[in-house]
Amino acid sequence: MWTFNAAFGRIFEIIFLPFRQASPWFGMILISLLTGLLMLFIFRHTSNQEGIRKAKNKIKAHLLELRLYKDNMRVSLKAYGHILLANLKYLSYSAKPMLVMIVPVLLILIQLNLWFGYRSLDVGQEAVLKIKLEEGKNPFQIEIAIEPPAGISVETPALRIEELREIDWRLRALDKGVHTITFRWENQSFPKQVAVEQHRLSKISAVKASSSFFDQLFNPGERPLLKKLGIQSVEVVYPAPGMNLFGWHIHWLIVFFALSIIFGFGLKGFFKVEI
Amino acid sequence: MAIRRSRCEAPWAVAISCLPRGKRRLCAWSEMIQKIRSAGLHSAVRMDKKNRLAKIGAVILLFFLSGLPLAAYIGPGAGFAFLSSFLVLFLTFFLAIFSFVAWPFRFFFRLIRGKKAYKKSQVEQVVIIGLDGLSPELAEKYMADGKLPHLSKLKQEGAYARLQTTTPAISPVAWSSFMTGSEPSKHNIFDFLSRDPKTYLPDLSSARIGKPKRVFSLGKYNVPLSKPEIRGLRKSVPFWKILGDHGIFSTVLRVPITFPPEKFKGHLLSGMCAPDLKGSQGTFSFYTSDPDKIKKREGGIAIPVEVKGNRVETYISGPDNSLLKKAEEIRLPMRISIEPEKEQARIEVSGQKIMLKKETFSPWIRLTFRPGLGMKIKAICRFYVSQVRPYFEMYLTPLNIDPEKPALPISHPFIYSVYLSKLLGSFITLGEANDTWALNEGALSEQAFLELTYSNHREWEAMVDNALAKTKKGLVICVFETTDSISHMFWRYLDKDHPALKSGRALMSDKVIEELFRNMDEMVGRLWKKMGEKSALFIMSDHGFKSFKRGVNLNSWLHKTGYLFLKNGKAESEEWFRDVDWERTKAYALGLGGLYVNEKGREAKGLVGAGDETRALKAELLKKLTGLKDEEKGVVAVSRVYDRDEIYHGPYKENSPDLIIGYNAGYRASWEGVTGKITPAVFEDNTKAWSGDHCIDPAWVPGVLFCSRKIDAKNPSIMDIAPTVLELFGLEPPAHMDGRSLLTKPGIAPAAKEKKS
Repeated sequence: MWTFNAAFGRIFEIIFLPFRQASPWFGMILISLLTGLLMLFIFRHTSNQEGIRKAKNKIKAHLLELRLYKDNMRVSLKAYGHILLANLKYLSYSAKPMLVMIVPVLLILIQLNLWFGYRSLDVGQEAVLKIKLEEGKNPFQIEIAIEPPAGISVETPALRIEELREIDWRLRALDKGVHTITFRWENQSFPKQVAVEQHRLSKISAVKASSSFFDQLFNPGERPLLKKLGIQSVEVVYPAPGMNLFGWHIHWLIVFFALSIIFGFGLKGFFKVEI
Repeated sequence: MAIRRSRCEAPWAVAISCLPRGKRRLCAWSEMIQKIRSAGLHSAVRMDKKNRLAKIGAVILLFFLSGLPLAAYIGPGAGFAFLSSFLVLFLTFFLAIFSFVAWPFRFFFRLIRGKKAYKKSQVEQVVIIGLDGLSPELAEKYMADGKLPHLSKLKQEGAYARLQTTTPAISPVAWSSFMTGSEPSKHNIFDFLSRDPKTYLPDLSSARIGKPKRVFSLGKYNVPLSKPEIRGLRKSVPFWKILGDHGIFSTVLRVPITFPPEKFKGHLLSGMCAPDLKGSQGTFSFYTSDPDKIKKREGGIAIPVEVKGNRVETYISGPDNSLLKKAEEIRLPMRISIEPEKEQARIEVSGQKIMLKKETFSPWIRLTFRPGLGMKIKAICRFYVSQVRPYFEMYLTPLNIDPEKPALPISHPFIYSVYLSKLLGSFITLGEANDTWALNEGALSEQAFLELTYSNHREWEAMVDNALAKTKKGLVICVFETTDSISHMFWRYLDKDHPALKSGRALMSDKVIEELFRNMDEMVGRLWKKMGEKSALFIMSDHGFKSFKRGVNLNSWLHKTGYLFLKNGKAESEEWFRDVDWERTKAYALGLGGLYVNEKGREAKGLVGAGDETRALKAELLKKLTGLKDEEKGVVAVSRVYDRDEIYHGPYKENSPDLIIGYNAGYRASWEGVTGKITPAVFEDNTKAWSGDHCIDPAWVPGVLFCSRKIDAKNPSIMDIAPTVLELFGLEPPAHMDGRSLLTKPGIAPAAKEKKS
């Protein structure tokens, strides 16, 4: 899984390479365009294009019917019914491409979350570092040593919360760069990256997760933790960045969805895809 | 239900929080989902510090697996469907609310305006099915033989009569009289063609399509700054306009001479005389690699093609590019790959690939012509590969105006054709829908012609079905030209002596016509069944049919008898009077039955003085032409000649021909005579497939009238339908109408009443 994550993640690194120094909008626009194109391709080849066209035509026809027979309540009511039925049919035609699309879209979203989901720490900024233990483990019975690199200082002793099976520290960023904190426990050690003052568009791994399939799938930024450690995840709580549009902060997901849909709709005529 | 939305929540999270509790439980049932949730949302206590990534995945899968419509919001691809569906739902909901709220206001508004429609109405619904050219003789024969059960039932339970047609007995004239209840000089339609007295050239009688008045010159383009002139030339008021003014709704489908469509309370789809995209009345294309078949084809164009390695590179001949200062034809490149073994061809045109088996019609194909400046003109057409070897041959229908994106107005309201196209699929919009010329000119076989004609017919029947379902109160009219087209093209099989049977192979039999009548009868049965108790059904034709065996070139006769002169040294003239010496010519014929005096002050090079001189010439011609004999056959070719001053009394009489020729049964204006050609022979055999006709003395070709109600069926005229329908809906027919209501005592027409008073 890690090999796949690394390879897939490399594609995004290449895509975003020219935009690392620029506003995240450039990268977002490009990836939305590419995703829109991919979705069009999938939609075209997995959907019943003729069925969709017919269903859409029926919807439009009955909408026109409302205008044409506006004085005829009987016809209007029937038209409403027909519109709803045709709409259901239209949705049913979208089910198959949706099933197919869910896989690539999920993988893309997971990768994008690494790029747009977090902002690196500023020098001097504090952040919480959390270790979440697996079910049945008691944080008070575990002694974990934390070895910060030169660019990071650990400001608090470990805070143990039994109910949450968590051990927390507060960190402070001292110098820019991607720093590696090392944890030591019963002759075992594992690293965790902490990003400080990175490019405006950077890949930031907030969570280092266990080696289970889903944990790896959803946290592809770093190598997974070894199973025998009994640790579910190690997380640095980074600030959420948001996309700035004329001083308005918008969640990157909204921007991504809006742009990819706009690109999809805009290009559907060019690629002759019935959506 | 409260919606809490924290800073980091994705829109889906809001959406899922809006779900009913039960649904949310559904979302949570799966252990796998729980696993994902616990993996992704492992710090659930503080929402703003969650692993957003895992949450995204979990929520996506939750939606997906829950099978709810909201699942459509998964990913941008599915977002397409969601967005469209949501818009539709929103629009539907909004329109529903608006409609419900507005309905009482509209109701009261109508009430206040005093339009108490249907108050005096004897019926709720009137349905008129026009079967263009249905012959009464054949209908009566087949009814007597028990072959038309539904029409027989109509006759028994209601009424049947032969329906008097107009003079001349030509569809555009007759249907104009039908809709206005008036004789031709009140509606200004006297033929398919009218003549321009300044040039002696023909014009379409029903409509004028001109160029935009104001243009802006931009390089090689003339950018239009105003709309092109599209003007209907038919005058007077159709009776559905009168019904509409009284609040009675009408659906009018394919009635001839309704292009361009006029505004009224109802829906209308134009019929005969609506042009194709080239602006003609239908220009087919015939592609052939056979050098022997490359020739001029009436009503179409022959495009020679060369087959190289089973491939053909050719084009579709589109409309003239009127955007260009120097107009030229727009051509669409077309590539055809022939598979001789499989007897099929793949056609690539306008970004589409169509695989077509030999002797199969394609569905309607949408084409886009680009004249420049980013403009697009849409057309629809159908292909038919008639042969793949030894020669490749393909027929292409005329380029019909796309009803979904009409380049010209073909319906009222404008969106009506869009609506029909979206609801029922693309359909033929050309006025002269059935391609009789393609059969006449050998571009289509008889079988293919019938297939195409019945395919058009089915499209129209679907429209009538829809209109009947939607117009439970009001008027529904549809004119089917199927009967006219098939009668024209297959009449020779009823006439064993027809010259066309002697000159060509008889591949079919008189069963084609019988089958046509049976098909129409079955359709009548289907439609009648869909009508309510308080309905009246009229089945009618505008004229009947007779065999067309011999053509009469009236211009040749005028030349022979010294009324028409050719330029010095000429013994014949090319079409449109190219070699006629107008300064010596006294009279000329144009169109299917019109004869004009070359009158001084009216025609550009008029010779005959107006008034007495013209009257004397007309009397002289009338005398000579009445009873004109075809010496070769020993038969009278012209049974009667009508003087316009005796038969017309309306305000547009001056636009009509001076004399109207009533040919005898078996005769008609010759093919060459109609187009102003002058040949040595006056009479000639008609050897074309177009072997039946009705452009003869109207006395020979009455139409039919069936009605589901008892009416006064004594000598009804096509002009009587309008007043009858008005009276059925409780309205007084206007005084200008020449017809009489068949519901009232016969004898006194409203116009006559006025004259008396």
